[in-house]
Amino acid sequence: MNGPLGSLSEVFWYEQSGLPLLLLLQLLPLFGAAVVFAFKERSTAVLAGKLFALAELLLAIVVVSRLQPTSAALQLAERFAPLAYHVGVDGVSLIFVLVAALLTFLMTLYGMSRGMISPGRLFAVLLLAEAGLVGMLVTLNVAWFAAFSALELWAVVYLLRRWASSHAETQALARFVQYQAFGWGLFAAGCVVLGWGHAEAHAGRWSFDLFDLIGAVPVGKFQTAAFYLLFYGLAVRTPLFPLHGWLPNMAQHGLIAVAPALMVGVKVGIYGMFRFVLPLTPVAVEYWQPYVVGFAGAGVFFTAALAFQQTNLRRLLAFAVVSHTSLLVIGVFSLHEAGIQGAMLLAANFGLAATGMWFIVGFVFRRTGTTELHELSGLFERIPFLAIAFLGFGLAIVGMPGTPGFDAAHLILEAAIDQFGALLTVATALGNVAAAGFLLWAFQRAFLSQAKSGAYDVDRTLPMEYVVCGIALAAMLAIGFFTEPWLHLTESASQAAAARFAR
Amino acid sequence: MKLPLLSLLVFLPLLGAGLLWLLPARTARWLTAASMLATLALGVAALVAYQPAGARFQLLEQASWIASLNVHYRLGVDGLSILFLPATALLFLGSLVACWNVVQTSARLHYSLLLLLQTAILGIFCALDTVLFFVFWELTLVPLYFLLGRWGVSSSSPQAAARYFLLMLAGGIPLLLAFVLLAASQPVPTFDLTVLLDAQLPRSTQTAVFLLCLLGFGVKVPLVPLHTWLPQFALAAPGSLTALLLGLKLGAFGLIRFAVPLAPAAAQDMHWLLAGLGTVAILYGAVGMLAQTNLRVGLAYASICHVGLAVLGLASYTAQGAQGAVSLLLSFSVATGGAFLLLEFLRQRTGSTDLHALGGAAKTMPLLATGFLICGLAGVGMPGTSSFPGEFLLIIAALHSHTGAGMAALFGLSIAAGGFLALYRKAFFGPVTRPEVSQAQDLRPREWAVLVALIVMIVAIGIYPGPWIEIVRPAAEAWATGLGR
Repeated sequence: MNGPLGSLSEVFWYEQSGLPLLLLLQLLPLFGAAVVFAFKERSTAVLAGKLFALAELLLAIVVVSRLQPTSAALQLAERFAPLAYHVGVDGVSLIFVLVAALLTFLMTLYGMSRGMISPGRLFAVLLLAEAGLVGMLVTLNVAWFAAFSALELWAVVYLLRRWASSHAETQALARFVQYQAFGWGLFAAGCVVLGWGHAEAHAGRWSFDLFDLIGAVPVGKFQTAAFYLLFYGLAVRTPLFPLHGWLPNMAQHGLIAVAPALMVGVKVGIYGMFRFVLPLTPVAVEYWQPYVVGFAGAGVFFTAALAFQQTNLRRLLAFAVVSHTSLLVIGVFSLHEAGIQGAMLLAANFGLAATGMWFIVGFVFRRTGTTELHELSGLFERIPFLAIAFLGFGLAIVGMPGTPGFDAAHLILEAAIDQFGALLTVATALGNVAAAGFLLWAFQRAFLSQAKSGAYDVDRTLPMEYVVCGIALAAMLAIGFFTEPWLHLTESASQAAAARFAR
Repeated sequence: MKLPLLSLLVFLPLLGAGLLWLLPARTARWLTAASMLATLALGVAALVAYQPAGARFQLLEQASWIASLNVHYRLGVDGLSILFLPATALLFLGSLVACWNVVQTSARLHYSLLLLLQTAILGIFCALDTVLFFVFWELTLVPLYFLLGRWGVSSSSPQAAARYFLLMLAGGIPLLLAFVLLAASQPVPTFDLTVLLDAQLPRSTQTAVFLLCLLGFGVKVPLVPLHTWLPQFALAAPGSLTALLLGLKLGAFGLIRFAVPLAPAAAQDMHWLLAGLGTVAILYGAVGMLAQTNLRVGLAYASICHVGLAVLGLASYTAQGAQGAVSLLLSFSVATGGAFLLLEFLRQRTGSTDLHALGGAAKTMPLLATGFLICGLAGVGMPGTSSFPGEFLLIIAALHSHTGAGMAALFGLSIAAGGFLALYRKAFFGPVTRPEVSQAQDLRPREWAVLVALIVMIVAIGIYPGPWIEIVRPAAEAWATGLGR
């Protein structure tokens, strides 16, 4: 893997911009968290939280404008050897950064409209989680990735403990911690195997840097071990069937929108597979590809079937997330340029759409105090905008034309035909229709059905709710009808990732 | 710069839908009517601008859309699609006027969805890029889902809406696969229909594309055995929507425009499949109609039967067949659309279109009964009505190419005609037994106006079909020549 295809190149930040933008991108939310924390529960804390989230979003847009999308090199790179600090971005990581920044901004707006307790503390933790996410997305060092991942997980655990919305949260929280600690442990063990491989090859000098590791990938059994540790570590995080056990419980009992959005809105698991697993364990990836894809294909259907069994809107959404994550894994493991590109765009699309749906579920919960499907009815008459937005996000998940999901799903289909033949492709596409089925079913029961007698008095849509869902929906439609810039942004990075596996 | 006539036409309804939300809710209905009138005017303008003897595709517009996938925004019309534009505009206007007072709740939302549907359907007829076509094709589902689920007329409407949505979504998968396969078969992947029409494809690719398209469009047509959604849809949908969806045969248009010309050799190899599906649909629809006790479901079966005839005629792969199919489909937009609108009037008066609840309706509603008879006879291809020229051409084409199937089709059509008359007799003649029927009012002036407009078109086109057929003929000839390559 030392040929020109397998090697990496980078462009340092001072060649592209006057400032170390990525450092700023990571420090801004941290600094914001500190400021918001210092303000305690004053109203300025809330304002500062929103402003920092907005500033981070603008900064992310600036970073995107500085990127040279036609180059496959990692750009705006920064290195600081004593700390093994090494960051760099390409089009794919920036897509994820943009999603993370946008979602955090929307969450600060959402947090306001939900009337949460102690919003100052909430915003501080939210910004901390954002720092963790951004850090994971820009770093080129597996150990740093694991560290940022721990930071983000800690933030989510804290959120779940402090702001849980029901009393059954203890069990959900315990389950969440068990799963995530286990997954994190696997990933960390995988990092150790990689670092050890480097130490073996370079006279005892350990390194976790992507650029060093790619020249010294472990061989044979060690590579398989590294692959499995990293893959399953990330699969728990993603979550990929059958390692999804933590999500439904957390979704049902935990904080409604913010925590699930942080965990599944930005698909860092998929990103980690793209950034680290594919280049660092290429032989194992090719060898195990059929198994991974087979499992993912089964997962699409199995979780869709489970989703149909759910009686709670929040659990149902959780299974929807697990179901579509399998599709992403199929895209990444097609090891085909179009498939990888499609998976990355689809991940961003799913993140946006799923988060939008969580928000709406949160708004519904605020009005009705329940998310049990048999207790919800006739919401369309009272909150038509939210109902349509819910369906809009649902359609984006299904890959309806006019949403970013369409071109992305189209790319994945193209790759799947090329790599796995028509059968699996058709099966996957049908799995998508199944997803459409349960989302529509839930939509009908909660929104379209006849309002039951003695139904709760449901408030009309609030301005803040219009803003939150309107922004998310507008972003989706805009990206959906003008996909070109996003395809352009991710093209060369996806090509480079697939080139390693060109046969 | 030339005026982008087709873009204006396609997106004018969408603009209208946006405007609805800026103006007070009480103007929504009038604004929708104004937008639909303007669309009709543009549709007629497009028809006037179209030169039947000119180039194959006209009024072309092109803009780059998704450059890295080589997807373009490309609109254009030929003789096969041009007439559908005014027909669509007319049918939308007709169904709006016919159901003028029906929508009481969330009127703005209802009308903006209706306008969105119009944009999508006009887009389907104009798109010359397969991806663009697919986007419009799937875009119809969203407004249809809401219109059916939220404003349906039966308690099972939400279920019918979900079923329709899911079936059509599933039908979209083979279509998308076919388009991706087609694009991938070219040296430079392209979705440009005009390029793909001239491309030479290997036989195996053609077979796959043809079968996938047949499956995808077959759900929409609907071809037996993919028709199961239709009876339920006809019962659950509001009258205006049934008229639109059964009047405009998008699935059959898809077969003419995409399935056959994109895979000519495979289509000719599998002529038996297309002809067989058509014949089965004719016979099944005709026999199914005999067993119905509800007028709306009966008409839905009649529509399965007649679209089967279009498919059978198409399978002759002659200019005559294509010309006949397009003429018949056009006639349906008036005849079937009109018949369903009349049934909606009937349902508003008596609360049902079930035979048990009717009987003797002609006594109290003579105008409605006459109108329904004319539309129904046009539906079964009575000479002197608009369907006759198309039906005649189709039967000749079918008898030439598939004599046995053609004979069976003739047989099926006579059963269908008998079935229609039997349903008609039970509903409109005989003694009046129900109070709903005896107290029913005949057509009001507004309804009467819609009806007269439809009947004038049915009779005028039926007696003097020349100009319309001539618009279709050159394109149909080009279509048949294209298959010979």
